[in-house]
This record gives sequence, C-alpha cells and structure tokens, in this order.
Amino acid sequence: MHGMTTYFIRRLLLIPLTFLAITFLVYAVLRVVPGGPIEQAQLQIKMAAMQEGGSTGSASAEAELQIPEDAMKELKKYYHLDKSIPEGYVRWLWGIVRLDFGRSYVYGEPVLDVITSKFPISIYFGLIGYFASWLVCVPLGVTKAIRHRTGYDTWTSVLVFIGYSIPGFVACLMLMVLLGGGSYFDILPLGGFRSDNWEQLGFFAKIIDQLRHTAIPVFGYLIGGFATMTILMKNSLLDNLGADYVRTAFAKGLSENRVVFVHAMRNSLIPLTVGIGQALGLLFAGSFLIEKTCNIPGMGLLGYTSIIQRDYPVILGTLVFLVLIRLTGNIFSDIVWAMIDPRIRFSK
Amino acid sequence: MIIKLIETALILAAGFFFTHKALPYLLVNGGRKLGFPMKPAPHWQKRMKRFKTIKRGYYSFLIITTLFVTSFFLEFIVNSKPLMIRYQSNTAFPAVREWADKLFFFADLRRMTKKTDFGQVGDDEVSYRLFAASLKDPAIFDRQIEKLEAELKDIRAQISASGTGSKSTPEEVQDYADLQEILPVVEGEIEAVKEAKAQFVAGKAMIIMPLYPYSAGEHLLDIPGTPPHSPDRTNILGTDDSGADVFAQLVYGFRISLSFALIVSFSGYVIGIIIGGMMGYFGGWFDILTQRFIEVWSSIPFLFTIMIIAAIVQPTFILLVGLLVVLSAWISMTFYMRGEFYREKTRDYVHAAVAMGATDWSVMMKHILPNSLVPVVTFAPFAIVANIGQLVSLDYLGFGLPVGTPSWGSLLSQGMQYIKYYPSLILTPSIALSVTLFLVVQIGEAVREAFDPKVFSRLR
Repeated sequence: MHGMTTYFIRRLLLIPLTFLAITFLVYAVLRVVPGGPIEQAQLQIKMAAMQEGGSTGSASAEAELQIPEDAMKELKKYYHLDKSIPEGYVRWLWGIVRLDFGRSYVYGEPVLDVITSKFPISIYFGLIGYFASWLVCVPLGVTKAIRHRTGYDTWTSVLVFIGYSIPGFVACLMLMVLLGGGSYFDILPLGGFRSDNWEQLGFFAKIIDQLRHTAIPVFGYLIGGFATMTILMKNSLLDNLGADYVRTAFAKGLSENRVVFVHAMRNSLIPLTVGIGQALGLLFAGSFLIEKTCNIPGMGLLGYTSIIQRDYPVILGTLVFLVLIRLTGNIFSDIVWAMIDPRIRFSK
Repeated sequence: MIIKLIETALILAAGFFFTHKALPYLLVNGGRKLGFPMKPAPHWQKRMKRFKTIKRGYYSFLIITTLFVTSFFLEFIVNSKPLMIRYQSNTAFPAVREWADKLFFFADLRRMTKKTDFGQVGDDEVSYRLFAASLKDPAIFDRQIEKLEAELKDIRAQISASGTGSKSTPEEVQDYADLQEILPVVEGEIEAVKEAKAQFVAGKAMIIMPLYPYSAGEHLLDIPGTPPHSPDRTNILGTDDSGADVFAQLVYGFRISLSFALIVSFSGYVIGIIIGGMMGYFGGWFDILTQRFIEVWSSIPFLFTIMIIAAIVQPTFILLVGLLVVLSAWISMTFYMRGEFYREKTRDYVHAAVAMGATDWSVMMKHILPNSLVPVVTFAPFAIVANIGQLVSLDYLGFGLPVGTPSWGSLLSQGMQYIKYYPSLILTPSIALSVTLFLVVQIGEAVREAFDPKVFSRLR
C-alpha cells in the first residue's frame, strides 16, 4: 500500500497548487483587461446622457461625464478594485477561505447563495443523465459484444457512429425543433427547468411537467457519452471473453449466461468506472452548451451569463467550483478505480 | 435545374480527379525530383492496403478529401461575383481576383469593377445580378429609362415652378442651383442607359456567373419581406436574419471548420509529439516536472477559460487556433508519445544510432519518431472531429470567430432565436455538421482497424 499512499498524497498536494495557479491567472486576466465594472458604469452614464438629448455642447457634456475623483474611489472600493492585483488576489483568496465569495454585481446577492441556488438544478440533470447513459450503454454494449459481427452489431454500430457525430447540444436543438412545437410536433416544452405555473399544479401534474422538461436535456447528456461508453463496454467485454479465465469457466462446464454475466461482466465493468469522477464532475458543473440551449438555470448557464455580464465575483466563484469539482473528481476516480480493481497500483 | 445538377456533378468529378489523381501524381513526382524516396515502408503499404479494403472508411475518405480540396475553389462555384464579365472592350474576372486575393493573402489583389465601365449608372461596384438579368431581359432597361424620365420630368416641373417666383431665402436659391445641377446628370444617365441597352442588344455584353450566384457575406436585402427567409428556388436553403444566403454560409463554413480543425490538430500534435517525445526520451527530472505541469494544466476548465478570454478580446482565427492549441490540443498526444519514446529508446537501432554519434534531436526525430507514428495517425481523425465540435460550440456561444465569418455555430445560435418559425435554420447546419463528423468518424474507425486489426477470439 506504500506506493498508493504516496500517490494519493502527491495528488492531494497538487490540488492547492493547481487551484492557486488557475484562480490567480484568471483573477489577473480579469483585472488587467478593460471592460470591468467601472468601465461598464462609465458606459452606462454616457448612454444615459446621450439619451437625455444632445442639446448641450459636446465639450461640456464630455467633461460632465467624467466620474469625479472621489466618486471613482468609492466605486473602486465598492468593487474591491482599489488594491493592487497581488493584494486584491490575496484578499479575495482570504474571502474564499472564509466562504465569502463577494457579492454579485448583477444580482446583488452573495455569490455563494447564487451558486448554491443553481447547483442542485445542475446536479438533478447531471445525475439523471449519468444514470440514463449507464442504463442505455451497458445493455447495448453487452449485447453488441455477445452478437459481435452479426447484423445487430452492424446496425447498432451505425447508431453509435451517428451518436458520436452529433454533439449533445446540437441533438437538443434538433429535438426542440422536431418536438418543441411550431414546426412539426408539439409534445415537449422549449427548454426551461419547470413551467412558470409549476407551483399551482397538482402533485402528478408537477411530476409530469418536470419530466417533460427533463427529457430533452437528459437526451443531450446521454448522447454526449453514448458512443464512447457503449464501445468501451463492448470492447472490454470482448477482451474478457477471449481471456483465459473465461476459457477455464467454460471448461468447467458453466452455462454461457453464467460465464458472460457473472464472470466476464464483473471485470468488463471496470474500465467504465475509470471516468466516473471526471464524468460526475462534468455533470455536477453542468454543461454550458446544454444548459444554454435548453435554458436550464444551472451552473453552466450561470457561468455563461456571468461572463456576458462581466459579473466578476460570479465568474471567479464559478471558476472555484469548477476547478475544485474537477480536481476532487479526478482523485475520486482513482480511488474508486483502485478499490474496484485490486490490480491497479499507482506506484512506479 | 437539371443542368445545374449536371454541372454540380461535373465539378465534383473534376474535384475528385484533381484530388485523387492529379494531386498525388504531382506530389509523388515532385517529391522524387527533390530526392525523397516517395515509396512508403512495406508495413505502411500494408496498412494503406488494409485501409482501402475497409470500404465505408475509404469512401468517406474519398468524399471528405474531394470536398475539402474542391472547397478551396469555392469562389468559382458559390459566389455572387461573376467568373467573367465583358462589356464592349472592358473585361474583368472578379471571382478569379477574389480567389487569388484570398490565396495570396499577403498581396491586395482586389479591384473594383466600376458600374460606369460596364454600362450601369453609379460609382460603386457593378450589380452583377442586374447585369445578368438585363442580358436575359432587355425590358429592364426600358423600365429604368421610364423611371429616370419620370424623375427628369419631376425636376423640370420643380425648376419651372420655382424659376418663375422670386427667391427670398438663401436656401431657396441653393435648392434652385442644385436642381439646375442635377438636370444634366439625369439626362446623361438616361443617355447612358439607352446606350447600354443598344450595346446589350447588339451582343456586346457577356457575363458568366458561378453555379450558385450568392456569397456568404452578401446581405440580400431586396428580397421581399424581412429576413430570415425560408428556402425557395433561388436561395435553396433560405437566408439568415441578416439576409445572407444559408447555403453559401454552409459551404464556406465547411471549408473554415475543416481547415480550423486541421490546423489546430496538426499544431497540437506537433507540440505534443515534441514535448511527449522529450519526456519519454530524456526521462528523469524533466519527465517528472513536465508530468506535474501537465496535471495542473489539464485541470484548467478549458471551455470556461476560453469563454472568459474570448469575451474580453474579440478573437481572430489565429488567436482562436492558438488558444485551443495551448489550452488543450497538445496534451493528449504527450501521453502516447511519452510511452512510445520510452519504449523505443531501449531498442537496438536507437543504441546503434547513438553509437554512431547521432545527436539527441536526430535520434528522436529521424529514428524513433517514424516508428512511433501509429497513435498519431489513428487518433488524428478523432482529434479533427473534436476540434470541429469545439469551433461549432464556441461559435454557437458567441465566443468564436469574428462576426461575419460564415460558421455553422453562429447559424445554430440564430436558429435558436427563430426555432418556432424557421426550423431549417437549425436543421441544415445540424445536418451538415453531423454528416461531416460522421464521415470523419468513419475514416477514423477504418484507420484504427487498418492499423490495429484486432481479432477477438471467442469461445462458446
């Protein structure tokens, strides 16, 4: 176990390093480049002045539009931009340690509240999508392996290739065109997490409404990993079916079902669990593309809108969550893998 | 319609001949002239042969390469500018110029074909579609003359009305002078149109339009109604909300997407091969430090970071390529190359090369690399698929190529806004994207099978 322990200690030590490097980089980028909240405020003042009318002379108007020195200081202080980049970063980091992510410029609420309110929505779709992909890909991969090089294998392969060729969000878009009303069928709603009148609905109507809103995004998540997972399942089962221990099992006189589903299956599922951490991390954090396409108010959409609106505290807060989820997800994968497969040892 | 189909087929046949007969011939012979042995090693020949026997992959390869090479001549096929235009003794080749201008991007080869030189009235560029239409139907000139004459009559009436009264304000004096000035101009225009009609009827005018006479960047604002438009006979896939033809955007978008993906994958692979090769070959501290660095680097939330940067700096083609390469494209290849180099460096031929005094660099590039190319070739098609997907996603989110670049992603995001009323805006780019990716995936599968013919033995 010695090698394993050092391996995980090394991985754990890398987490803070990675975290600091990434957040500092993004913090510095956000501070250095123009387009921050102060510029936005200036722009708004200018726009307002322009709308009021251009009757006053342009030169005097220009002078009026400059934010006064003391007001500027106030603004900078309000947005915590009055410190130098390293000092500001350290202050921000100290805030993070105390779970104070600052206040969103747009929502006016603490960033942590904003993020935690969006997080469950992403988890809801992510988890359903993940389980759905296991439910679809494992049986498909197993049957493909058992009927390797038959007609069934060929036409499901075509299906797999089509799935690989369509990005998840494009699949969502196409489904919304086909099923979302307007042009062809009007079966499913056009995005959103729930209907607006969800609160007034009865118990069963609530469930049905939720499921109707869940179908298209989950299909998007499903198709994202569909091909790789199915083929991985098929190939790993085929590998195992050619292995010596399967020959032994057959030689003992076991039935084919028992050999395939009890002996070979257990080992073939191992490669599928390798990506569990990354996959869960990805799903927890939501997909920008699918959440934007289906208008789901989760972490992905939050990150996207915060970038569009230059909501720096939210951008940084989302980043912290994304990085932490990914880093812990990677380690989680390794631990799960090492637990499931006793042959895995991460020593040199 | 049938003629257009036949022409399309001919163009594609020519493209196929050029891509798969002329181009390989030129490359092989040119290479031989330069002293390269243009015959691949026997095991590569065997793999290529095996690849050709996998029909779906091989045919996908033929289709994609033909379309891609042909797409570099798109200016001759899908363009609102004519291949050739002639009027009296004036001849111009606007489409050819545009093509050459893009090919030799360092030189400015654009010239404006002025209206006055080609029998039209005005100072700007010739309206080629009007030119072609008036060739078919000279009655267009009559309508123009009628309109101009009505204008002339109006001016004359104004002049006579204000000429009799006294002019009290300076503005009125100015108006009168303006009218006096316009009068001969309009008269001259009528003469010019009459002259042009005579020349057109006498057969002194000629125009050769491309097969599909619309450009990706041209806003067709004279179509009745507000854009976007649904597909019809002339714009076979309709227009987007700025009035640009969707079919033209799709085909130009194909060229951009595929070129983008090829450049990103290639540069990423070059960097990945060099860094991964060095890690495997040198080992030791360099290997350990680089591994840790890659671990840190690959934990960057890649899409989010690109979005942040692209929101702040409007990315150009080059910048976007650079971002994708630096942030993600190089990483995956380092793992494979590290392993390959690590394994190969203990082989006898490497020891022999070292003993003969070869430098590290030449051992790595000349001796080990040619024996470690299998992962490069087998993963390349999938890297291209991934990078096409990246570009489409970024364009879709609005953080991709500059506005106005024909792209599948921006068509998709437009389609989002009109999802209820213009389904073709979503369906056509989705289908174009999926079919392209499907074909590339087929190539990838066939290459993988040709390089690694795994025969699963199965007991019953």
